[in-house]
Amino acid sequence: MKRSGRVSYHLCRLLLGAVFVWAGAVKALDAPAFAGQVAAYQLLPYAWNYTVAATLPYVELLAGALLLVNVRVKPAALLLLLLNALFILVLASVVARGLTIDCGCFGPDAGTTPLQALGRDALLLALAVAVYRQGDRYLPPSAARS
Amino acid sequence: MTPLQRTLSEALLIALLGLLAGLAINHRLVLDAFAGRLAASTSAAATANAVLPQPVLLAEVRELAATGALLVDARDAALFADGHLPAAVSLPLAEVDRLLEDFRQRFAAERTLILYCNGYGCQDSFDLGLRLMNEGYHDVRVFEGGFPEWRDAGLPVAEGNK
Repeated sequence: MKRSGRVSYHLCRLLLGAVFVWAGAVKALDAPAFAGQVAAYQLLPYAWNYTVAATLPYVELLAGALLLVNVRVKPAALLLLLLNALFILVLASVVARGLTIDCGCFGPDAGTTPLQALGRDALLLALAVAVYRQGDRYLPPSAARS
Repeated sequence: MTPLQRTLSEALLIALLGLLAGLAINHRLVLDAFAGRLAASTSAAATANAVLPQPVLLAEVRELAATGALLVDARDAALFADGHLPAAVSLPLAEVDRLLEDFRQRFAAERTLILYCNGYGCQDSFDLGLRLMNEGYHDVRVFEGGFPEWRDAGLPVAEGNK
């Protein structure tokens, strides 16, 4: 039981980390295109779309990388949890406003509708919650406090 | 400080570091955006009733692409793979019959389209524009400078088939 719990925790951690490293890297490689995707949400003033596009990928990349290397797992998972909650709110507003846009979550023209993205973000949120809640129990030896 | 507060402050620190890294790497893009140097604003409604594809200049292409317009490359697939505008999709004029159905499913008719090909001597993007307007796309524009003007302006170019 304990062993399977540990294995599933580490799998969740690695999966969550890999998803966000991938999402961050794809968008970081083409910030102007991602700015276009952000603008399509019609939520921010013009220049702020670029600011989000310039910074959000690196936040995702950093948090995902920390999960992958098993350092500062709890805060990284908490950050991704909060980010996912924010993404869900934003996507819900897209659905409510009836916009037909690409999600932009994994770079330009990945072809994900807002509803599909909502479902995926709900799964990622659950994953982040699981990693956050288990984060104390399976700390790497170097980080364990006496 | 409670454990939750500690975790939360560490989470915010991670966010701040990511933010600073992004600003450091993309400072020019952000500064240009705030200075309004990326492009002049254009009215999408102004061309909504147009019967011909409307020409757009380089600055407008960047502005429109940043506000959700779709870039469409009308050149053949090999040229597209060699280099194209970032986030552009390939729809070669010669293959439009075969690819149109898939294109229509992926992109709504309300979407602003910016078509381009090999510059001012190239007619393909205009012809493709007429075809797409016949298919129900009502906001279709042509970037007449095309790929050469974009490349020669030193703007980023994407490679590959995607």
